[in-house]
Amino acid sequence: MLALDGLSKHFGGVRAVDGLDLEVRQGEIFGLIGPNGSGKSTTVNLICGVFPVTTGEIRFEGRNITRAPPHVCLAAGIARTFQNIRLFGHLSVWQNLWVAQNAMADRKASGFLNRWFGGSARARQEVEALLEFAGVAAKADDLAGNLSFGEQRRLELARALAAKPSLLLLDEPAAGMNVEEVGQLRERLAKLRDDGMTILLVEHVMELVMGVTDRIAVLNFGQKIAEGTPEEIQNDPLVREAYLGAPQSAGGGNA
Amino acid sequence: MDDHLVGVLSNIGMISFIALSAYLLLIVGEISFGQQAFFAISAYASGIATAMWGWDFWPGLAWGTAVAAAAAVLVGIPTLRIRGLYFSIATLAFAEMVRLVFEVFKYQVEIDGEMVGPDGSDGFRDIRYIFENDITAVEYMLMIYGLLAAVLCAFFLLERSRLGSIFRMIGQDPVLAEMQGIDVTAYKILALGLAGLVAGIGGGLYAHLTTFVEPKIFNVMLGVHSLAYGLIGGLGTAFGPLIGVAIDIGFLESIRAISGYRMIAFGGLVAVLLIFRPRGLLDEAAVNWIRLRLRRRHA
Ligand SMILES: Nc1ncnc2c1ncn2[C@@H]1O[C@H](COP(=O)(O)OP(=O)(O)OP(=O)(O)O)[C@@H](O)[C@H]1O
Ligand SMILES: [Mg+2]
Repeated sequence: MLALDGLSKHFGGVRAVDGLDLEVRQGEIFGLIGPNGSGKSTTVNLICGVFPVTTGEIRFEGRNITRAPPHVCLAAGIARTFQNIRLFGHLSVWQNLWVAQNAMADRKASGFLNRWFGGSARARQEVEALLEFAGVAAKADDLAGNLSFGEQRRLELARALAAKPSLLLLDEPAAGMNVEEVGQLRERLAKLRDDGMTILLVEHVMELVMGVTDRIAVLNFGQKIAEGTPEEIQNDPLVREAYLGAPQSAGGGNA
Repeated sequence: MDDHLVGVLSNIGMISFIALSAYLLLIVGEISFGQQAFFAISAYASGIATAMWGWDFWPGLAWGTAVAAAAAVLVGIPTLRIRGLYFSIATLAFAEMVRLVFEVFKYQVEIDGEMVGPDGSDGFRDIRYIFENDITAVEYMLMIYGLLAAVLCAFFLLERSRLGSIFRMIGQDPVLAEMQGIDVTAYKILALGLAGLVAGIGGGLYAHLTTFVEPKIFNVMLGVHSLAYGLIGGLGTAFGPLIGVAIDIGFLESIRAISGYRMIAFGGLVAVLLIFRPRGLLDEAAVNWIRLRLRRRHA
C-alpha cells in the first residue's frame, strides 16, 4: 500500500532519514520505533508532503507521491496526527471535525447549504460517530483548546479519521497518556484495523507498540536497523543495543 | 435628538465598517495597515457617481463598494501568496500610494456653472446628494445603522458557516489548514475582497455624510485605529470591533476632560490589552463561554 524506496532527508549536514526502504501492507498496523532523533517524525512528514524529499521515492497505492504537497496526500487518502498536538483551539470540537470532513472532494457535491452551513444529514451523522469514537460527544460545542490533554489527543485522531483516509500516520499518539488511556488507545487502534484501516504507528510506549502492531521497523540515525514481528524485534540484539539501551527486557519502554 | 449626538453616532456607525473590515483580516491572521485605502476608494468612487454622474445614492454606494472590493482583490493576489510581514508592509505602502494618488487626482465636470469633482489635495467637495434629496441627519444615521445591522447579520452568518470556520482555521494555523486541504491563499484573497467591500460601504457612507472628502483624512492613523478596534473589543465576535469603536469614539473622544490626551489613553489601553488579553476583551474563549451559558439558559 505504502512503499518507501531509498528515502532520504538531509537537513544541512544532518541525515535525518537516510536511505530508508519500507513497505506498509494493506490492513496492518506497522510500528516505526527508534531512539529520540532517529528520524521517525521526519519520515511521517516526508510521507504526507510536509518536507520536500532529498532523494528516494514514496509510492502510495501504486501512485508516486514523492513530491505531492500535503493536501494532495490527504486527498489521496493519507491522514495524520502530530507528535505535538495540533488542533484549531479557537474553534469548537464540532467545527474541527466538520471542516476536516468537508475537506474531502466528494463533499463538494452535497449542495451549497449542506456544504457551507451545517452539513448534510449524513455528514452530521459521521461527525456524531466520530465524537462518540473520541469520547467527546458531550463537549461538541466546547472550544478544542479547552479540552483536556487526553481529549485533545483523541480529537486529533478523530479529525484524521474525518477525512476518511485509507492510511493513518500516527506520531506518538500515546505520549503523555497514563496506563489506562494507553489501553483504551490500543483498543481503538485494534478496532480501526478490524474495520480495514492501515496504520503507520510511530511510538515510544512499548506496551502499545508490542501489543498492537503486526510488524515493526526500527530506525537509528535515519537508517533501518531491523524489521520484523514484535517478537523478533524484542529479541533482536541490535535493537536492544541501539534502542532499548542496555541488554535488558524490551518491555520496559521509554516514554 | 441633539445634533452633536447624531453626529457622534453617525461617526461611530461609519467607522464601524472599517473596523469590521480590519477585523475580518485579523480573523484570517493578516494585519492590514491599509484598510483606509478601500474606505477612500469607495468614498471617491461613490461620490463621483452621485455628484458627477447623477446616479442615485444606492447604486452609487454599490458602485463605490464594488470598486473597493475589486481593488482589494487586486492587492491581495500578489501580496497574500507570500507569508509573514510582507502583507502588512504591502498594505501600508498601497494605502499611502492611494492617498498620494488622490492628492494629485483631478477629475472635474461643470454642473450648473460650477466645477464639481476631485481636485487633488483640495479634496472633493459638494457631494450633496443627501442635502439635495432632503434626507435629514437622523434619517441618514438610521440608514447607516440599517446597513451596519445588515453587515453584522452577514458576519454572524459567516461565523456559523464553514467559510467562517475556515477563516479562523487559517488565522490560527495556516500550515495545518493547508494540510486539511484548504487553499489558504485563495481564502485569504477572498477575505481581503470581503474586507474591501465592508470598508467600501463605510467609505461611501462617509463621503455622503460629510459632503467633502480630503485625501489627508485617509492617512495611516485611520488604518491603525481600525486595527486597534478589533484588538481592543476582541476577535471572538463581530461585536468586538464595534465595542472598540464605541470605546474610542463614543467614550474617549466624547469625554472633554481627556480630549487632549485621547491618543495617549487609547495607546495605553491598546498596550494594556495586548499584554493581558492579546485577542481582545471578547476573545474566542470568552465568546464561547457566553454562547454556552446563553444556550444552557434557553434549554
Ligand atoms: N526542520 C528541521 N530542521 C533541521 N533539523 C531537523 C528538522 N526536523 C528534524 N531535524 C533533525 O532530524 C533528526 C531526526 O528528527 P525527528 O524529529 O525525525 O526524530 P524522531 O525520531 O521523531 O525523534 P523523537 O522520538 O524525539 O520524536 C534530528 O536530529 C532532528 O534534530
Ligand atoms: Mg518525533
